[in-house]
Amino acid sequence: MKSGSSLLDAELHKTDPRVKLIAAKLKKENFKPDALIEVLHTAQNVYGHLPLNVLAYISKALSLPPSRVYSTVTFYHFFSLKSKGEHTCLVCTGTACYVKGAQVILNEIESKIGLRPGQVSADNQLGIQVARCIGACGLAPAVVLDDEVQGKVTLGEIINKIIDKMAAK
Amino acid sequence: MNKLTIYIDDKQFQAEPGKSILEVCREHDIEILTMCHLKGVNDVGACRLCLVEIEGMSKLLSACTTKITANMVIHTKTERIKKYQRITTELFFAERNHVCAVCVANGTCELQDLGYKVGMDHIRYPFLFPKCEVDTSHPWYVMDQNRCIMCTRCVRVCNEVEGAHNWDVKNRGYQVRIISDFDTPWGESITCTSCGKCLQACPTGALWPKAIVQGQMKKNPEIIDELMERRKMIL
Repeated sequence: MKSGSSLLDAELHKTDPRVKLIAAKLKKENFKPDALIEVLHTAQNVYGHLPLNVLAYISKALSLPPSRVYSTVTFYHFFSLKSKGEHTCLVCTGTACYVKGAQVILNEIESKIGLRPGQVSADNQLGIQVARCIGACGLAPAVVLDDEVQGKVTLGEIINKIIDKMAAK
Repeated sequence: MNKLTIYIDDKQFQAEPGKSILEVCREHDIEILTMCHLKGVNDVGACRLCLVEIEGMSKLLSACTTKITANMVIHTKTERIKKYQRITTELFFAERNHVCAVCVANGTCELQDLGYKVGMDHIRYPFLFPKCEVDTSHPWYVMDQNRCIMCTRCVRVCNEVEGAHNWDVKNRGYQVRIISDFDTPWGESITCTSCGKCLQACPTGALWPKAIVQGQMKKNPEIIDELMERRKMIL
């Protein structure tokens, strides 16, 4: 319909190292449309989430309709359209962790840092998430800070670690 | 080609292998209720209305996506199937906000017809009353999510017949919605050709032209199959 839709014409900066990483992946996959999920994985890893202009770039590169790409992204919980924050704190709320006080940890995070699960701090430094069992029940209660599993956490210790992460940038 | 012998509702039929149960039933005027099936595009088995009972199988299978096999014994009118048809129909109505009285498709709606056909006099499930968007950004057409039953006929027509693939489905579970491009307004779509085939394919009043009001919708879903047949002749 409209010829100059700003979303799709969004030129990504060719010099951006993140775009180079996606471009390399696209080339490696030979621009095959069925490599969509692999390319989205790479894009989510380098950006932390999937901005619309990146989706537009991928859809053009793989010759896939925009709606198809968007539908794939929204189907899988792994992909996120919104930023999850520079640092992520994922609290396991599986049965074992819940019994060992996952909710107490979440309440403490909310009162000390002011963020609830799914929220990202205003400066985009920290995002809080929850997961139903990360498979580390022996380490309950478990928290994953920036992809690093923290087992048998205590309240004061985990809050300090989160605050350190936010301060370290 | 050797024909296969199958039994539908205690009657014997001969049919070519590779055909679906639904195709054979339609050929012999055996009624099977469908919503997501549209002749001319691929079947996806989404609506679960065409479920049939097959002897030797505990699960009910969808007639549209199940191919016939030799000596298959099929039942299409058992009490069990009627029960599920009724449940499925009620769930269609409970899922979104279907108000026939103000709908453009009142009288030509396949969902409305279905309700009459299964004898639905009330709905046993709590209504979800979801907040749904109405996209009026297209210069000629409107997309009303309230009336959508997620049969994905528009998605398949747009992709398989028109080749534009403007439509697709976002999210999952009860949060699924039909989207245009990157969930952007239909009027800003860069893929839509405004051909209007999705309006013809839609079984309800979810897609309709702006120029009409309540009860004025005229539909011709058969046009999709006619188009595909004509295309074969050209090729």
